[in-house]
Amino acid sequence: MTMRRREFLKTAAAGAATVPLLQTRARAQAKPVRIGYTMSATGPYAVGAGITQAPNYVLWQEQVNAKGGLAVKGEGRRPIEFVSIDDRSEIETAVRFYEKLATDDKVDLMLPPWGSAMNFAIAPVATKHGYPMIGPTAISAKFKELALSYFYIMLVQPEPQMQAVAALLKDLREQGKIKKVAVAYVNDLFGIELNSATGPAFKAAGLEVVDTKSYPLGAKDLSPVLRGFKAAGADAFVGLTYPPDNILATTQAKEVDWNPAVFFTGVGTAFPFYRDRFKGAEGVMGIAGWNPKVKFAGAKEYFEAHVKKHQKEPDRWASAFAYASLQILERCVGEVGLDRPKIKAMLDATEFQTVAGPIKFTKGENVVTPGMVGQWQKGEFELLWPKSWATGAAMVPKPAWA
Amino acid sequence: MGVAEGTPSEPPPEPVAPAKPALEQRVLRHAPWLGWVLLGVALVVAPQVLPPYYRSLALAILADVALAVSWAFFSGPTRYLSLATGAFFGAGAYTTAVVMARVPWPLPVLAAAVVAAAMALLVGTLALRLRGPYFAVFTFGLAELAKHTLIWFETGITGTVGRLLLNPPGPVTLYYTVLGVAALAVTVAALLPRGRWGIALIGIGADEERAETLGIDTTRMKVGVFVLSAAFMGAVGGAMAPRWTYLDPQVFNPLVSFQTVIMALLGGPTTIAGPILGAVFLGLMSEILLVKFRYLYMLSLGLVLIVVVLLLPAGLSGLTRKRRA
Amino acid sequence: MTLSPTLLLDVVVGGLTTGGIYALVALGLNLQYGLMRVLNVAHGEFLMLGAYVTYSLHTGWGVNPLLTLLITGPAAFAVGLVLHRLLYARLLIGDAHEALESRSLLLSFGLMFVLQNAALLLWSADLKGYSYLAIPLRWLGTVFPANRVLAATIALSLGVAFYVYLRWSLTGKAVRALMQEPEGAQLVGIRTAQIHGLCFGAGIAMSAVTGSLVSMLFELTPFMGLPYTVTALVVVILGGLGNMVGCLLAGLLLGLVETAGVYLASSDIRLISSYAVLSLILVLKPSGLFGR
Repeated sequence: MTMRRREFLKTAAAGAATVPLLQTRARAQAKPVRIGYTMSATGPYAVGAGITQAPNYVLWQEQVNAKGGLAVKGEGRRPIEFVSIDDRSEIETAVRFYEKLATDDKVDLMLPPWGSAMNFAIAPVATKHGYPMIGPTAISAKFKELALSYFYIMLVQPEPQMQAVAALLKDLREQGKIKKVAVAYVNDLFGIELNSATGPAFKAAGLEVVDTKSYPLGAKDLSPVLRGFKAAGADAFVGLTYPPDNILATTQAKEVDWNPAVFFTGVGTAFPFYRDRFKGAEGVMGIAGWNPKVKFAGAKEYFEAHVKKHQKEPDRWASAFAYASLQILERCVGEVGLDRPKIKAMLDATEFQTVAGPIKFTKGENVVTPGMVGQWQKGEFELLWPKSWATGAAMVPKPAWA
Repeated sequence: MGVAEGTPSEPPPEPVAPAKPALEQRVLRHAPWLGWVLLGVALVVAPQVLPPYYRSLALAILADVALAVSWAFFSGPTRYLSLATGAFFGAGAYTTAVVMARVPWPLPVLAAAVVAAAMALLVGTLALRLRGPYFAVFTFGLAELAKHTLIWFETGITGTVGRLLLNPPGPVTLYYTVLGVAALAVTVAALLPRGRWGIALIGIGADEERAETLGIDTTRMKVGVFVLSAAFMGAVGGAMAPRWTYLDPQVFNPLVSFQTVIMALLGGPTTIAGPILGAVFLGLMSEILLVKFRYLYMLSLGLVLIVVVLLLPAGLSGLTRKRRA
Repeated sequence: MTLSPTLLLDVVVGGLTTGGIYALVALGLNLQYGLMRVLNVAHGEFLMLGAYVTYSLHTGWGVNPLLTLLITGPAAFAVGLVLHRLLYARLLIGDAHEALESRSLLLSFGLMFVLQNAALLLWSADLKGYSYLAIPLRWLGTVFPANRVLAATIALSLGVAFYVYLRWSLTGKAVRALMQEPEGAQLVGIRTAQIHGLCFGAGIAMSAVTGSLVSMLFELTPFMGLPYTVTALVVVILGGLGNMVGCLLAGLLLGLVETAGVYLASSDIRLISSYAVLSLILVLKPSGLFGR
């Protein structure tokens, strides 16, 4: 029996060793540039990954290969070949595969997975093996503690983000449009960090916060929280939420018959399906970063290409940054080739122009993009704040629920 | 009619001839031990020769083996279907996250085992009063309960959520840690049935009331082994945690409970080799399917599970047992 | 938060609404687990499928979600019958009770993967949902959402109707006989295999119908099923395995406790309170509120 088991183990291990990774085939003759990543196609992270990151990776590859491939300095154009698998929203699986990509497949470049938790686990692996990685879905003040020299964060971090919200609300209060603010946040790293940033930011802005409540991830009923806010007389709701709770909060606000002058739900509001779900979601505000009207080169073209390829719009926040991260990579490879330390040096030193605007990294953090607030107005997520980036004016009070 | 007839001049048969079969017999009798030793050597040498990915895969499978084996040495004989693995694993992982920065390795793993054991002691005295399905469901809820209690505690009292594991031990160290835990678990699983406790456990599994009337302190036995089993599960969680860099209460995952049971049942929960086979089979199969079928691997894995259950009533170890007989 | 009559009303109505849904999905599981010792962890997946079917029928063909119940219910029942025949009935061939429980767990786990993958392929992982009757009803000084009240009413009515059927119909009596005295029932000529199949089918149907109702209230993902399975298991144990009335009452109780917890304290208390209640009851009565 023991002999058989060893036999079994041996053959199984041998079988696993000879299985090739699933690869997309590129048709060009030049040696392909192999780019590796994992993406959550199943499990709780699949929703976000499927909206914000996966479509952009695929779109970019298609566009670049249509041009003949990725321009590599000194080598002409080489087609992009993705080496990717579904990480099942499992951290351990992702860690293992990034190790494989670095040491076994020895890919040329790496792209990040979706979400802060995944990026926490992967970024050290990438840095250890010297792969620069630009993360468009990683938000946490804790990344600074990791001090990873090869990891770059695209998105605005909690502090500047909430300062932007505070500034907008302060402006509205000075115009006499709102008086009392109520805050609800999801009991998850993201919500908690945003809330930690909210306290000081709102205080500095002189805003009156009448109540702050937290709720667990996956909560099925937020009406107690909303009823409480309504009873306290709040006229500005600041929800530090994720999908699906941002949808739940919105639905239930209508159900409990509460329509405050300002209704802000953090993440997920910028997704087109949120607008469609709520018949336009007129007047709802959320964390913003982009819309097709911004004056940056390629913005409109990106929007149209995304819709054409995927039959759905990019979201109005991290999608554009995901695409921008690829543009940045493309430019680096074009100017310094596939030498990874050189790519890193360029990432540290350059200000890049992308569809999401100028991006510049200092110690791995994007310091140019400001925190932004957006609002759905007539089918588009207008940027309200900061004024220098605005594409529309704030519509306050919010119209009645559709 | 007698020995005198026939060939009186022939000498009696040589005593040398039977020695050869005796040697073979001796080798065969010790073959299982030989097998274990060789396997042990292979596992110890592995991280030095395997490329990093395969080493990680081996690490993950060893962790699964440890979980499945520790589950089985309690739930196998007693027949109490425990779904608490996720809770103990998570508790161990989070403990390591909290203490790793302050104490040298491998003390965090020890701490993880202790915390999980304490949790099992607390919960076990209540839970083990329940029978069958009640026990199963109650233990299943533990992971969720632990998660929400921790969230509430962390956000309310410590004001933070999640822990960063900075400067984790290297992958080879982690591999040997997990190997150590797995080896210890297997040893316990091998020794337990031979001792007084093991026999008592089987008695509890067969007929608990009768065992009590025979004078066995069933509560002490059950809780004792339950706590021991939990300690190992906590240790595994503690040993794996540094790989993920960031841990928050979401680490209490009820699916871990299911997966552990699946592995043990797949292999056959009442043997020592069963859970090991199940863990290796499921681990390798998932990996192969994941890599080969990007969008269909869940489907294929599910189908494989269904087929195995329907065709192999005693699990994978039933296959090998039949051959031996 | 001050205790006022309005608050109390909020809690009670909210609790019964949540509880009604819990009760219905748990009833289905109770039939399978209580009667046949089949631990179907894929129970929530059928809820998920029922929700998606209603979603597709409503957003694709404009069918009223309530009407879709007439489709998802019977269809799920048929699917349940087939699954039982093909898969679960085979587990009964020559095995002791405990082994049945663990092997059905294994089987159902595989089924769970298959169903989730199927849903993923058919509907993708994107969040899907629709708005139906999300209008506030004003009553006694406070506001309730029409869709939640409706969903709960339907769920409870179905649950009670099923209980009545069990109590007074011939088939129902056979089912109860089998639950209480498996050997005796067989001696009296009750056809175990057939009843098992019917009960399995009914359980699946209840799960799917709950899903159709749930789709009116929440967003759908292919992975939404497991939390409902977990809740159903808790309710079943709380009420006593195999006890239908206990199940209904336990579901409502759980809903009330959770809602009260959320209103009176923070939201994390919701789940802690559920398990606290479960622990307390099991300490006092290890076979559940109404179990034998």
